[in-house]
Amino acid sequence: MNTRPTSWTASLKGFFVTEDESFRVIPAVIVVAAILIGTFVFTGYFAESDPGQRTVVTLWHPWGGEAGIDFRKLVDRYNNEIQDEVYIKSLYVPNNLSANQKFFLSVKIESPPDVIFVDGPQVAEWAERGVLQELDAYLEAAGIGEDDYWGPCWRQNHYKGHTYALTYCADPNFAFAWNKAVFREVGLDPERPPRTIDELDRMSRFITKTDPQTNAFVRIGDIPWAVYGGANTLFTWGWAWGGSFYNEETRTITAHHPRVVQALSWLVNRAREFDVYSGERLVTKGVERVSGLQQSFGSGEQNPFYMGRIAMMPIHITVLRDIDKYAPDLDFGLTFLPAPDDGEFQSSWIGGWCVAVPRHALKPADGFDFIRWMCATPEGSQLAASSTGSFPGYKVSPAYEEAERDPRKRVFLEILRETRHQRPVMPAQAYFMGELDESVDDAMRLKLEPEAALRRASERTQKELDKIFHSAPLVAVEADRS
Amino acid sequence: MTRGERRQLMWGLFFIAPSLIGFTVFMVIPIVLSFYYSLCEYPILGSPAFVGLANYAELFLRDERFWTSIRVTIVYTVIAVPMGIVAAFLLSLLLNMKVKGLAFYRTIFFLPSIVPIVASSVLWIWVFNVDYGILNSLIRGFFNNPLMIAIGLGPIKTVPGWLASEQWALPALMFMSLWGVGGTMVLYLAGLQDVPVHLYEAAEIDGASAFRKVWHVTVPMMSPVIFFTFVMGLIGTFQYFTQAYIMTSGGPSNSTLFYALYLYQNAFENYKLGYASAMAWILFVIILAVTLFVFRTTGRYIYYEGK
Repeated sequence: MNTRPTSWTASLKGFFVTEDESFRVIPAVIVVAAILIGTFVFTGYFAESDPGQRTVVTLWHPWGGEAGIDFRKLVDRYNNEIQDEVYIKSLYVPNNLSANQKFFLSVKIESPPDVIFVDGPQVAEWAERGVLQELDAYLEAAGIGEDDYWGPCWRQNHYKGHTYALTYCADPNFAFAWNKAVFREVGLDPERPPRTIDELDRMSRFITKTDPQTNAFVRIGDIPWAVYGGANTLFTWGWAWGGSFYNEETRTITAHHPRVVQALSWLVNRAREFDVYSGERLVTKGVERVSGLQQSFGSGEQNPFYMGRIAMMPIHITVLRDIDKYAPDLDFGLTFLPAPDDGEFQSSWIGGWCVAVPRHALKPADGFDFIRWMCATPEGSQLAASSTGSFPGYKVSPAYEEAERDPRKRVFLEILRETRHQRPVMPAQAYFMGELDESVDDAMRLKLEPEAALRRASERTQKELDKIFHSAPLVAVEADRS
Repeated sequence: MTRGERRQLMWGLFFIAPSLIGFTVFMVIPIVLSFYYSLCEYPILGSPAFVGLANYAELFLRDERFWTSIRVTIVYTVIAVPMGIVAAFLLSLLLNMKVKGLAFYRTIFFLPSIVPIVASSVLWIWVFNVDYGILNSLIRGFFNNPLMIAIGLGPIKTVPGWLASEQWALPALMFMSLWGVGGTMVLYLAGLQDVPVHLYEAAEIDGASAFRKVWHVTVPMMSPVIFFTFVMGLIGTFQYFTQAYIMTSGGPSNSTLFYALYLYQNAFENYKLGYASAMAWILFVIILAVTLFVFRTTGRYIYYEGK
C-alpha cells in the first residue's frame, strides 16, 4: 500500500515522520492529547460552583420541570440558611415503579447517592432487596416516632420491624370531584354529589350523552375504571367496597377477595352499558368505545374534566394546581369518594414519595439530617408541601394551617385525616401492580371473568412473593452485616 | 515473515486494537456471560445463583406470556415482512418510471424512513386516535358519503378501535410499518438500475406484456436484493420493540406484547436478568433457525448473475 504524504506533511518530514513513512505517530498523539486536555478543561469549566470546605452530600430526586425548580428552592434553603457544614448536591435522576436500574446498579457498585427518593409502595421492595438502610437508630436519636406521622404514612415505610424511609409527601387518594356547571345544565342539584355507588351510577347515566349520528360521546358522566391506571383503580374501589389485597401476617395476596371481585364486576358492568350491538352480535365493547374517547383527552386547558366532557372523577391533590393554572373559573365541588351501601364510606389511601438512605451511602448521617429537616421539621415540611402541592406526612406542620384556609385543600385535608390504607407493604409490589393492571384490562375487555382475572393476579404474585421470601438474602445485605 | 512484515503486522494490530478490545469487552464477553446468566437466577442486585435449566423450563412450560409474546411476534413477522416487501417493490417500480418530478416523488416516499422511530410513533398515536384520528376520519368519510349509503355499504356506526382495541392494535402496527418502507424502496431502486435493458427488449420482441416483463425479468434479476431485504426484515421484526414500547406498552390485554418487549420487561422492570438472558438466547436460536431455514428453502430461487 502506498500512502504518500500530502504536501503539508511532507514539509514537516524529518520532524514528525518516523523512519517508517507509513505511520505518523507523533501528530496522532498530539491530536489525541489536545482532545483530552480540551475535554478536561471544558468539564472543569462547566462544573457546579465550589461548595468550599463543606462535606458534599449527593441526592437523587425525581422532580423535573416546575416541581424541580421548587425543589431546588428547598435544597438552597438548607444549604444556605440551615447549616454550614454540609452541601447538598441534588441531581435529577428520576425513578419509578418500572425504572430503577440506575439506582440499583449504583448500590451494586457501592457508589450510591447519600439520599434517594423512593415511591411509597416501593419502600418494602427496595428494603427487601437490600438497597436501603434501616433508619431506626437515626430516628431514635432524633426523637422521631410513629406518632409524628399519619398512620399509613408511617406504615408504608415500616417493613419487617424496621423503618426504611420517611414520608416526604402524603397524597390522600382521592377526592371525588364533580362539575357543578354540568350538574346545573342537566338539571341535577349542583350541591348534591353522589354519596353511594347507586347514586353515582344513576347520575352518570343521566349525564352521559352521545351523538346519535356518529355514536361518539359528547359528554360522559364518569369513567370509574380509569382512576390513574388499572392497579390504582382497583385499590381505590376495592377498598371502598371493603375489600383487601394483602394479608401481612400470613404474607398472602388476596386480590381475589370477594369484595374486590364485586368492585371489579361493577366496573365491568358499567363499561358494558356502552357496548354496541348489531343484532345479537357485540360489535364494539363499551370499554373500547370509551377508550377511543379517552385517547382524545388532552392535558392543560384541554383536560376533559375542565371542559365538562367528564362530569365526575376522582382527582389527585396536585390537580388543584393544574385547575388554578388552566381552568381558574371551573365551577366544581370536592368530597369523599362514594361507596356502596355496605361498603367503606370515606375510603381513601395514601400515595406519595418518601426519602431514604441507600445502603453503602458514604455519608448516611449527613444524608439523614437532610431527610429529617425535609420530612420532620415544621419549616422543611412546609417547604416540601409547597413544592409538591401536596401534604407532608409529618403531622405537625404549618402546611395544614395553610390548607385550612383553602376551601378545596381543606377537603383533601379531611380526607387525609380519615385515610386508613396504604398499598400493601411488601416486595414484588411493582409486579403486583402490573398484574392488577392486566387483570383489570382482561376483565374490562371480557376476556376473563373478574373473579378469574383477580385470582390469576393473586396466584402469580404469590409465586413471585414466595420466591423472594424463600430465597437467600442478597449478597449486598450479607456483606453489610458481616 | 520478514522483520518488516512482522513490524507491519504489529502496527496493524496496534491500530485496530481499540476496535478489537472494544469488541471483546462489549460484545464477546457479555454474550458469553449472558449464556451463563441464562442458567442462573439473577436479580440485578446480588450475585447470580446457578439454577441449571430452570429458567428455560419456566419459560416453556409455565409462562403463558412467553407464548403470547412468541405468537404476537410471529404473526407480525409473517404478515408485516412480506407486506413491506411487496409495498416497497411496487413503489420502486412506480418510482422507476420516467415521469416529471421523479426526484420529488422519490424524496417524498423516502422521507418517512428517516424520521426517528420515537417521533413517528408519537405521531402515529394521533393518526390512530379513534375519534379524532385522521385514519378514522378518512374511513368515516369514505363510508358515510351518499354514494356508499346508496349502495348499502354505509353509513357505519363503528370504526376500528386501532390501538385501543385488542383486535386492531397489532394490525395497526403492521399498517404503520408500511410508512417506513422508504429504506427498502431505495435498495430496490438501486437494484432496478442494474437490470439489463436488453432483457426487456428481448421480452418485448417475444411479445411479453408489462406484467410478464416484471414477473419474468425484473423479479428474477432483483431476487438477490429482495432476498437480502427479506432476511434483514425477518431479523429486524423478531427484535421489534420501540414502537410497541412507546405506543401500546404491550397492551391492550397483551395483544402487542412483542418478544423483545417482554424480554425488556423481565430484565428491567421485574429485575429477572437470568430469565431475560434465557429469553435472549431463545430468540437467538429462533432467528438463527429461521434464517437458516430461509436460506435452505429460498436460496435456490435466487438468481445471481455473477455466478
